[in-house]
Amino acid sequence: MSNQPVLSLENVEVHFENQRGFLGFGEEDETVRAVDGVTIDIEERDVVSLIGESGCGKTTLGKTCIGLQRPTGGSVKYRGEDMWDVRDGKSDSGLDWDEIRQSLQIIHQDPGASLNPNRRLVSILSEPLRQVSPDLSKGEKRERIYQLLEHVGMNPAADFAERYPHQLSGGEQQRVALCRALLMNPDVILADEAISALDVSLRVEMMDLMLDLQEEFDTSYVFISHDLSNARYFTEHGDGKIGVMYLGELVETGPAEQLINDPKHPYTKVLRWATPDLSLQEAGDMPMRKIDIPDPINPPSGCRFHTRCPEAREVCKRETPDTYQINGQQAACFRRDESHEYWDSPELMD
Amino acid sequence: MAAEGTQQQSALDVDDPVIRMRNADVTFDGGESYVLDDVSVDIDRNEIVGIVGESGSGKSMLASAMLDAIPDPGVLTGKIEYLAEDGREIDVLELSKEELRQMRWEDVSMVFQGAMSSFNPTMSIKGHFVETLKAHDYEVEPGIERAHELLEDLYLEPERVLNSYPHELSGGMQQRALIALSLVLEPEVLVMDEPTAALDLLMQRSILMLLRDLQDKYDLTMVFITHDLPLVAALADRLSVMYAFKLVEIGPTEEIVGHAAHPYTRALLNSTPNLDAPLEDMRPIEGQSPAPINLPSGCAYHPRCPLADDQCRSAVPDFEQTTQDHAAACYHWEDSIDQIPLNYEEMLDDDGGSQTDGDYV
Amino acid sequence: MKRTDSGSVSGTDFSFEKGSASNVEITWNDRLRDFWEEFIYKPGLVAWDDWRTRIGLTITLFFVFIGTAGAYFYPEPATNQAPRSLQPFENMNHMLGTTPLGEDVLSKIIHATPDILMMITSGAVWATGLAVLIGVLAGYKGGTTDRILTGLSDVAMSIPGLPLIMVLLVSIEPSNPLVIGAIITINYWAGLGRGLRSQVLTLRDEPYVEASRTMGVGTLRIMFKDIIPNLMPFVLVNFVHAARYVIFQAVGLYFIGILPSSTSNWGILLNQAVNQYGALFSLSGAYLVFIPTLAILLLTLGLILLAQGTDRIFNPRVRTRLAGESESTEDGDTEPVVTGGI
Repeated sequence: MSNQPVLSLENVEVHFENQRGFLGFGEEDETVRAVDGVTIDIEERDVVSLIGESGCGKTTLGKTCIGLQRPTGGSVKYRGEDMWDVRDGKSDSGLDWDEIRQSLQIIHQDPGASLNPNRRLVSILSEPLRQVSPDLSKGEKRERIYQLLEHVGMNPAADFAERYPHQLSGGEQQRVALCRALLMNPDVILADEAISALDVSLRVEMMDLMLDLQEEFDTSYVFISHDLSNARYFTEHGDGKIGVMYLGELVETGPAEQLINDPKHPYTKVLRWATPDLSLQEAGDMPMRKIDIPDPINPPSGCRFHTRCPEAREVCKRETPDTYQINGQQAACFRRDESHEYWDSPELMD
Repeated sequence: MAAEGTQQQSALDVDDPVIRMRNADVTFDGGESYVLDDVSVDIDRNEIVGIVGESGSGKSMLASAMLDAIPDPGVLTGKIEYLAEDGREIDVLELSKEELRQMRWEDVSMVFQGAMSSFNPTMSIKGHFVETLKAHDYEVEPGIERAHELLEDLYLEPERVLNSYPHELSGGMQQRALIALSLVLEPEVLVMDEPTAALDLLMQRSILMLLRDLQDKYDLTMVFITHDLPLVAALADRLSVMYAFKLVEIGPTEEIVGHAAHPYTRALLNSTPNLDAPLEDMRPIEGQSPAPINLPSGCAYHPRCPLADDQCRSAVPDFEQTTQDHAAACYHWEDSIDQIPLNYEEMLDDDGGSQTDGDYV
Repeated sequence: MKRTDSGSVSGTDFSFEKGSASNVEITWNDRLRDFWEEFIYKPGLVAWDDWRTRIGLTITLFFVFIGTAGAYFYPEPATNQAPRSLQPFENMNHMLGTTPLGEDVLSKIIHATPDILMMITSGAVWATGLAVLIGVLAGYKGGTTDRILTGLSDVAMSIPGLPLIMVLLVSIEPSNPLVIGAIITINYWAGLGRGLRSQVLTLRDEPYVEASRTMGVGTLRIMFKDIIPNLMPFVLVNFVHAARYVIFQAVGLYFIGILPSSTSNWGILLNQAVNQYGALFSLSGAYLVFIPTLAILLLTLGLILLAQGTDRIFNPRVRTRLAGESESTEDGDTEPVVTGGI
């Protein structure tokens, strides 16, 4: 087991061009900066959760991690090799794009749409085996499929294998999607809001299952969620880290319990306020100065959170904070630097 | 089935009911199976009631029943009364089409899940307001002024939003505009079915706070239907829990959160990941919720309940009162408190204080 | 329609056991049974369930029957094989009457059927096959491939069909019904291809297709396993419409004499009836026009009804429901799906 991270993203940018205007005579090209300069590593058997509001770029970042989205800037390295160089044939590393493609898999949000409605489970699950273990006989493939189905609780496996997706419940469909991803024996699986469409009481079960199988299949997870409680459960049990995203930037990362109990970035604190819990204490007024997220096409200057941040000051409008490290956590906020001019800058009022 | 109704009647009297529902049943196949099974509940004036249930529990049917809006070919039976502030007592199921139309939106208004499909994409937001006002013969000028005020209460810029088309607004803005639209005729009751479902965390929480402010300012009664118990717990005065198309527990929020009596409620509270529970103690609920044509005999929860015995398997339990305002439909509610510990109990012991830090909790 | 969850997860550790693969051996018997069930029994069940398909299937199979067994057993038409100009039902040996040349009308109808069947099959296969290939390739690949193929189909669509067909037929003078069928549909595929392309564009972004791409499945395999099966309802319906189109065109072309009368066809019967036997001018000759027309009508009707019902065959929900495999449960409220971010 090497110490090298499986995936290493450095200053990754993903910008989408949106051409507007009449008949192509556009006034401006509007660029959506979905991901704007993110650096993050994913280790072996790691769990990395990405949380944030819609439009923060977490799905785009997730897809960039597993090579489904090509970055417009920065690099994405698989075991030290730039994966897009390998794809373009410019790399002399000996790595094959097919290998890389197979070792990075995905589980989608909507279980109903992630399985081909016209194929039986046994056919759906034979496909990954066909890719990674083409020499297995049909019987051997079936055997593996049955074993895995039984292990995820779909008994009797032979019966389930003959079913079509619509004959399963949402929770079962999602488990099949998980099986399909695992049968590829991947290094990283992207779980894109994979539990959001499930009934609340099934979510913990699904997360337990994913973590249980992580050991056996030796894979890492990139877990995208809009829900802090779920991310906390998954990350802490998987001994990983949470990354908080805002408007295309990673504003804070750290281990789950630490990040939740001692958030270092004002946005993380706001997320915590927004997460419902059962303490029934008065949650207090809305800490953000504005409810609505700014337009991602025209993000605010300086620190992007300054328009809503309860701690924002003049300097936050002008300068973009670096990422500061404080015992295991990283946060992009001037408040982490005791000597910064932030402390002398006047507060922002609207 | 009627016996349950009468028991519930006495257990859950409220001081000043604005909606009184007795023995409401909804069936889609002539009485063979029910998607709402003998529900009796009172909604108190100016309270916020949360109705919590998983998918397939019948909670949306309950909301629709209050406005007699069950889709065809469903059949709604029972007695549903709306008691207006000015003293009118209206039997909702006896209303003519025209009277029903008037009652809806003027007295009892509803906000559905997914604001996007409630708006006509070819009409501006202002157009929606004007159309609603005209349809109910209200004067447009003062109506639009009220709309301005409502939109401001919801942290929207009135001019900008009124002149926009629905697709030009974000999801959160659309939902808030829809809430404003539902209040423009000054109804007394607002029924909301998963109003924040498709929205982000921050927006959800913000809308909840706005709803509380609105309730305060306009003296509204609110019925909030959701699958997310922790979410509505922050807003609601009372909570009621639905399982397998029946109401199984009802009581003040603190009571339910701290001393839930029904085993299902306790299991539900334990199975939803929340920030305050220690990680090891979160447990999924074994088994599955039943389909309407396949209801178990007796108490519908017995196949999944650790306390089930023969009595549970043979007869549907009536509501038992646990404290003055709290009732649960279970034979063994006293045992459930001992035998099903809540995983965040420690946190509750300090008089409802929270163990966690953070500036904004 | 969601069924409720059934099992829960076992908590034990997991690993693939290298057990004897013989536990799950697939015998040839199993394979045959699978094939029968999947492609014949179940589609048959579905087809029979709907009255339209039932009638359509019956009629079409009837024509197939007379085109094969009928043509084999029933004697061929020849001049003077029977008394001339018999009315229908006059003589039970010659139920549909005879022509002024003494040929048995029923025999003429029956013996024209094989050629007609071959022609419409060839035409439909050619048109649909090309449309699927081009439409799916263009829609899935996108980019330059798409632009080239779409350009091609635009050109094909803008060339006026009938004159082109007529020119080709007159210059080539084909006698093989398979070739004739192919020529008749020479640019029919273009419109269908466009329709398919737009369907493919939607399907391409479906999560399950993305999952296949993520697994590294090749483009061709994705097209055939993931995309085309979900297009089958559309394709099949249009297949049958193409067949209908061919009949009409063929009959018309035979009627005006562009197609040679060396092949037998109901259109030729019409031609002869009108031009040679003056059937339009006397009531007693009317049956000579009536009967071929009826044959054309009937086959077309059968095909239309069949087309209307066939898309149900490809719906796995209907298939399994009728085969008794799943119980349908009441629709509960569904869990709200959160719209994620970018």
